[in-house]
Amino acid sequence: MKFLLVFAPLLAAAADLSFNRDIRPILADQCFQCHGPDPNNRKAGLRLDIEKDAKFALRNGHLGLVPGDPAGSGVFQRVTHASKGLRMPPAYAGREALPVKDIAKLKLWIEQGAKYEPHWAFIPPVAKPGGSIDGFVRAKLEQEGLEPAAAASKNELLRRVSFDLTGLPPSVAELEAFLKDNSPAAYSKQVDRLLASPRYAERMAWRWLEAARFADTNGYQSDGVRDMYRWRDWVIDAFASNKPFDKFTVEQLAGDLLPNATLEQKMATAFHRNHRTNAEGGIVAEEFRTEYVADRAETTATVFLGLTMGCARCHDHKYDPITQRDFYSMFAYFNNLPEKGLVYNWGNDEPLMKAPTPAQAKQLAALDAKLALAQKAIDLAQPRWAREQAQWKPAGDWMPTEGLAYSNKLADSTFDGNRVVQEKGGTVVYDYLSPFTFSAWVKPAEKTGAILSIAEDYSEGNGHGLYLVDGKVRLYVVFRWTDIGMRVETEEPFKLGEWQHIVATYDGSRYAKGVRIYVDGREQRLKVLFDELNWPMNFKHPLKIGAGHGMNFRGGIEDVRVYTKALSLEEVIALNDRSTLSISSRPEKLRLAFLDSLKPAELAAEVAARKERDDYLATLPTLMVMREGPKHQAYVLKRGAYDAPGDPVDPATPSALAPPPPGTPANRLGLAQWLVSKQNPLLARVTVNRFWQMIFGIGLVKTVDDFGSQGEAPIQQELLDWLAVDFVDHGWDVKRLIKQIVMSDTYRQSSRLTPALLARDPDNRLLARAPRYRLAPEMIRDNALAVSGLLVEKTGGPSVKPYQPAGLWQELAGGGGYPQDHGDALYRRSLYTFWKRTIAPPSMVNFDSPSRESCTVRESRTNTPLQALNLMNDVTFLEAARKLAERMIREGGSTVDARLGFAFRLVLSRNPSPKELTLLRAAYARDAERYRSAPADADKLLEQGEAPMPRKFPRPELAAWTEVASILLNLDETITRQ
Amino acid sequence: MHSPFQHPTRRHFFGKSALGLGTVALSNLMARDRIGGLPGVPHFAPKAKRVIYLFQSGGPSQMELFDYKPGLVKYANQDLPESVRNGQRLTGMSASQANFPIVASRFGFQQHGQSGAWIGDLLPHTAKIADDIAIVRSVHTEAINHDPAVTFLLTGAQIAGRPSLGSWLSYGLGAETEELPAFVVMISPGGGVGGQPLYDRLWGSGFLPSKFQGVKFRSVGDPVLYLSDPNGMTRASRRGYLDTLNQLNEEHLKDFGDPEIATRIAQYEMAFRMQASVPELTDLSKEPDATFKLYGEDARKPGSFAANALLARRLVERGVRSIQLFHRDWDHHGGLQKGLPKRCLEVDQASAALVTDLKQRGLLDETLVVWGGEFGRTVYCQGRLTADDYGRDHHPRCFSIWMAGGGIKGGTVWGETDDYGYNIVKDPVHIHDLQATILHSLGIDHTRLTYKSQGRNFRLTDVHGSVVKGLFA
Repeated sequence: MKFLLVFAPLLAAAADLSFNRDIRPILADQCFQCHGPDPNNRKAGLRLDIEKDAKFALRNGHLGLVPGDPAGSGVFQRVTHASKGLRMPPAYAGREALPVKDIAKLKLWIEQGAKYEPHWAFIPPVAKPGGSIDGFVRAKLEQEGLEPAAAASKNELLRRVSFDLTGLPPSVAELEAFLKDNSPAAYSKQVDRLLASPRYAERMAWRWLEAARFADTNGYQSDGVRDMYRWRDWVIDAFASNKPFDKFTVEQLAGDLLPNATLEQKMATAFHRNHRTNAEGGIVAEEFRTEYVADRAETTATVFLGLTMGCARCHDHKYDPITQRDFYSMFAYFNNLPEKGLVYNWGNDEPLMKAPTPAQAKQLAALDAKLALAQKAIDLAQPRWAREQAQWKPAGDWMPTEGLAYSNKLADSTFDGNRVVQEKGGTVVYDYLSPFTFSAWVKPAEKTGAILSIAEDYSEGNGHGLYLVDGKVRLYVVFRWTDIGMRVETEEPFKLGEWQHIVATYDGSRYAKGVRIYVDGREQRLKVLFDELNWPMNFKHPLKIGAGHGMNFRGGIEDVRVYTKALSLEEVIALNDRSTLSISSRPEKLRLAFLDSLKPAELAAEVAARKERDDYLATLPTLMVMREGPKHQAYVLKRGAYDAPGDPVDPATPSALAPPPPGTPANRLGLAQWLVSKQNPLLARVTVNRFWQMIFGIGLVKTVDDFGSQGEAPIQQELLDWLAVDFVDHGWDVKRLIKQIVMSDTYRQSSRLTPALLARDPDNRLLARAPRYRLAPEMIRDNALAVSGLLVEKTGGPSVKPYQPAGLWQELAGGGGYPQDHGDALYRRSLYTFWKRTIAPPSMVNFDSPSRESCTVRESRTNTPLQALNLMNDVTFLEAARKLAERMIREGGSTVDARLGFAFRLVLSRNPSPKELTLLRAAYARDAERYRSAPADADKLLEQGEAPMPRKFPRPELAAWTEVASILLNLDETITRQ
Repeated sequence: MHSPFQHPTRRHFFGKSALGLGTVALSNLMARDRIGGLPGVPHFAPKAKRVIYLFQSGGPSQMELFDYKPGLVKYANQDLPESVRNGQRLTGMSASQANFPIVASRFGFQQHGQSGAWIGDLLPHTAKIADDIAIVRSVHTEAINHDPAVTFLLTGAQIAGRPSLGSWLSYGLGAETEELPAFVVMISPGGGVGGQPLYDRLWGSGFLPSKFQGVKFRSVGDPVLYLSDPNGMTRASRRGYLDTLNQLNEEHLKDFGDPEIATRIAQYEMAFRMQASVPELTDLSKEPDATFKLYGEDARKPGSFAANALLARRLVERGVRSIQLFHRDWDHHGGLQKGLPKRCLEVDQASAALVTDLKQRGLLDETLVVWGGEFGRTVYCQGRLTADDYGRDHHPRCFSIWMAGGGIKGGTVWGETDDYGYNIVKDPVHIHDLQATILHSLGIDHTRLTYKSQGRNFRLTDVHGSVVKGLFA
C-alpha cells in the first residue's frame, strides 16, 4: 500500500521523464564523485557523465548502462544490491542507499533507453515564441492546478516596487499621487519614475558590490585601509546611465585593453582589484599573489558564468566538465598584473591610477594650465636671465640650503675604524615616506664601511643608512631587515683611497625606483637588492657618522649633509663643486647661485604653481586597477599549491563551452568579448536569474552561483531562457528587464498566504502569490533614516562611518578604534558605510550581509533575537524613532489618531486598521502617563544620537511618541517587503 | 494575554530552518532538551556535550611550555642543520636571516603527576592538573602566518569563507538553551593591550545561515551588542512595548498568514529573555571568594582571560554548546624571555582552575576543553640573540596543545618530536585530525557533518582528517 502511494504520482509522470530534470541530479549527486569527470578519482573505470562511456563495456566486461535493460545494467544492479558491501553509493564511504523514488526513476529511464542530454545550461538558450512572464507562470500554475493570487492593493504595490527598485519607501506625497491616479498607465508611470531616480542606481549597486567583494579594507590580519570608492561611483553611474550589461561586463574585466580606453573604462577594471590582499609581515608573497589571481578566476566564473570553478583548483571538477587545466587557463587571464603578493597596508597598492571625479579633473586641468603658464614665463625669462648672469660677478661660497637639516664639515676627517661621530637621538627623524638626501665626501681605505646612518648599529638592524659594502655604495631604508625595507647598491665600484663625493636621494615614493645615487655628480646605475618598503617607521635613532648597521669606517669623511628633500641633479652637481664661486665654477652651480641671488618672481611663481598642482594632485582619489604587465607564465598548480607548478598553461575559455571565434585575443579583452558573445550560453541566463532573485527573493535557478550539475535545474527553464534571449535581443538593457519583471501580473499579485498554499508551495517557487520576505540589511537602516527624515541623499563619494558600538575595532585589533563621523555622514545611505572586512558593520552582519571577504551572489535571510535587539536598542534606530516622533507631532496633525495615521502612511504606506489604532492609542497613553510621572526617564530616553532636538516639544510627550515610533520601526511589516 | 505567541515553542524559534518543521519536531523527540540541530546528529553516543576552546592567539612556544628538549643546550648558538630543516619553508621574517642559531628554553621543566609529563615551569598551575589533561606534542599545520593559520584551525581552510567550528556544532547539534546563544566567543588582550588582530570570520558561519555564527560576549559596553534597553526605559516598560509590538504583529499575521511573522514574534521574546539571562550570567558578584581563589584575583577584572574562563564555566552550566576564548599576544618573534612569562601568568591559573572547577562540579566528563594556539615556534632564534632576550619565528611543523574532559584520557602525552623539536617523529596530528577528534568527542563523525554550498558538500575537515582514537579513555 505504502509502495503504491509513493509510486503512483511518479508513474503518472513517466511519460515526460527528463534526463536533465530527473536523472542528472541523481547521477551528479550520488555517482559523479567516483564516476564523473575527475580521472584521478574514478573507480572501476566507470564514467557516468558521458553517455558513450557509461554504455561502454568496462574492463571487467560489465556494462554500466544497457538501454532498455535495467537488470542487465551495472548501475541498476549496484544501486539495488542487497549486500551492503556492494551496494552503491558505498556504505564504506558513509553514503546511504538511494531513496526508493530515485531508484524507480533510474529504472524507468533505463527502460526508456537511458538517453542522455547535454547539461541544460551548456546549451544556448532558445526563446519560445510569443512568450511572456505571465504566460509561462500561468501555464505552470494551470499544470499544477493552482490559480494566481488576487492583485496587491495599490498601497502594497507602491511600497513593494519602491523598495525593489530603489531600496527606499515611497513618500506620503508619492503614495497619495499614485492613489489618486486612476489612469491605466498609473503604475507604469510610477515604475518609470523609480527607474529614473538616482536611488535606483544606488539600490542596484549594493548587490554588485557584494558580488565584486567590494570593501574599504584589505581583509587579512591587520586589515589595512584601501580606497576604492571611485569604483563604487563608477558602478552607480553605470546603473544610472543604464549601461548595457555587455558593456558593463567588458569594461570591468578589460576596460584598460579597449582601444583608446577612457578614464572611466580604466576605472571600471577596479572590479578585479576588490579582492582581499595580505599585508601580514612574513608571508610568502607568491602564495598570496597566487591567491589573488585565483580569486579573480573564481569570481569571474561565479559572476559571469554561474560556475563553481574553484572546485577545479586542486583537481578536476568532480561533478562538472571543468578540468583543473580549465581553472588555470582562466587563471592565466588574470596572471599578468604587475602586482605584489605582500601588499601595502596603508592605502592603495600598485598598479593604481588617479581617478578624479569630473569636477576634480577640471580643477586639475586648470592647475596644469596655470603651471604651464608659469613654465612658459620662465622660458621667456631665460634669455634675460642669461644676459644678466653674464653681467653678474660670482663670488663667495654657495651651496644648496633649501631643506638642509644637518651638516657637519668634520674638521677632523680621519676615521680609524673606531671613531664615531654621534648626534643626539631625534636630530633627524625620517619616516618611510619622507624624501631625503644624504651627501658626504669620502676617502675609503676599505671596501666596507658606514658613512652615515640613522639606524640600529647591528648588521640586520633597522633604520636609514648610507654605506659602502664590498666595494659598492649602498642605501638602506629598513623597517625590519628580513622582510620590510628597501636596499639598493651601485653597479659600479667606488675607488679606494681617493676622495669622492657620494650622494643618495630618495623621493619618498616607497619604491627603490625613487632612489638615485651619485658619485662625483654622476648618476650611477643601481641594482635593487630589496624593494618592500611598506610600513611606517618613526625610529629615534641618533645620527651617526662612521657607524651604522654593524659597520664602522676607515679612511676619511668630510662635509656630511642631510636634506629633507631629494636634491635635483643640478643641485647635486652644485654640491659636488666645493670651490669658491668663480667664472670657472660648474655651470649648474653658477646658474643656481645666480638665480638664488636674483630671486626672480617667475621662478617663485613656478614653484608656487607646481606646489599648488602637486598638492592638489596628492588629494585626488586613486583606484587600484587592472593593467597588463609582462607575461607571467601560468601553470597548472598541483593540488592548487603555489609552489607546485605542473604543465604551463595559456589563457583559454573553459573547454566544455564553445570557444571564442578565431582571432579573439587570448587576453582579458578576449575573455570579456567571449563572455558577452553568443558562444557563451551562460552569461545572459545567470544575469537575468540574479535580477530575478533580487526581486522575487529566490532565483528561477535557486543556486544563482551554480548553474552546473550540482546546482538546481531551473524551476521554469522556458521562462528563464525566454528572459535571457529577450534581454540580449534588446541590447542587454537592464532597466527594460527590470521594468518587464515588475510590470508583470505575477509581480503585482498579493503576497497573502493561505495555509493550503503554504503547505503546497512553502518556498513559493510556483509564484501563485507574490513573495514576501524581510528587507535586506541596508534597506532596513535606510528605511528608518528615510521615514524619520534623517536620510541625507548625496550620490557617490568616499565611505562614511556612521554609529557603531564603541570598542568593536579595539577588542579585535587594538589601535585607535573606530573614528566615527558626525553630521551628514551619519545619515547617508548604507551603501556608503565604511566596510571593514574583518569586523564588518555589526548591524549589517546581524541582518545577514555577507562579510565581503569573497564574491557572494546568494541572498540569505535569517530571523534571530540579535536582530530584535538591534532594532530595539541600536542608536541608529532609536534616534530615527525620536526624529519620527518629532515628525508625527509636527506634521501629523493634532490628535493622537491623526498622528498615528500619518506615521502609518509614512512607515507602512497605508492607514492603520481600527484594531491597530486601538492598540497604539493605548500604548501612547500608557507611555505618556509613565513619562509624565517620570520626566527624568523621558530626558534620558531622548538622549539618542547626535541629531538636534527641538526645544519646543514637551519631553514626556516626545518620549512617549518616540517609544511608539520605535514600535512602528520594529514591526515585522516595516522590515518586510510584501 | 492569550496569545499563542507569548510562549513560543521551539518550533517557532527555529520555525523556518532549512530543514522545515517536520525534522525539527523529530529531532526534538530524539533529544528532549535540544533546540534545532540535524536529525541523526550526534551520529553516535557523544562523550562531550559541549566544548570550551581556550585559544592562545599568536602561537605560544612549545619549546618553553610542553616540548622538553634537554639536549638542545649542547647545540646552543649552533646553526640549525639543514638536514633538520630539510627544505621547510620559513616565513619572510626569518627566511633571509644569515644564520639560524639554536636556542634552548631558558626556563625550567619538571615532571608532574602520576603520568610524569614534562611541563614548563612557567605553567605551575597547569602542572597540577597534569593527570587530567592530554598533552599533544605533535600537532602540525600547513600555514605559517597568523591569519591563514588561525582561519585554518578554526574553519578548516586557510582562506576565508568556511563556517567556524562552533557554528558547525550549532548547525549539527543545535542548542541546549533558549536563554543564551549556542555559540559564545570571548576575547582577552594579552598584557591588557593587544597582540595579533582577530577577525569576525573566526566565529563566523561562512556559508551556513548566519544564525549559527558565534555571539561575542564583550567586557566593555553591552555584553552582547544592543542588549541593553535605552536609558529611561524600564524592564516593565519594555514588557509593555513588546506586548503592543507582538499584538500588532499578530494582527498582521492574521492578515498575511506568513509563519515568518510568528517566528519574528518568538525572536523578540527570546531577545527579552536574553536581556535578563545575559546580565545574570555575566554578573560575577555572587561568586564566592573561593571561586576567585581558584581562578585568581584577575577573574574579578572584566575582560581578563581569568574572568572569561570563569564565565565559560557559567556558560557551560547554562547549557551553551560552544565557548570560544581568545587570549592574544603570544607572538614572540622577539622579547620572548620577558613576554612569555607574562602571558603564562595571565592564563595558567585560570586555565587549570577551569578544568578543576568543571571536575568538581561533575561537568568535566561532558565538557571538552582544548588549550592551544595556531602554530608553534622555531627552535632557532629570530632576530637578536642576547643574554637577556631572544625570539622565535612561526613554526608550523609541530606544536603542542592540551585537551581535557569529554572522554579524553587524562595523563596522556601524545606524539613526539625530534631532538630539535623541529619535526614530528611519532603520531602526528594534523589540524584536520584535531578537528575530527573534537567532533568525535561530541559524537559527530566528521565525514558526515556536511553542508552543500556552491555544488559541493563541505565539511570542517575538508576531505581529510582522522580521529586520534588513542587520546580517548
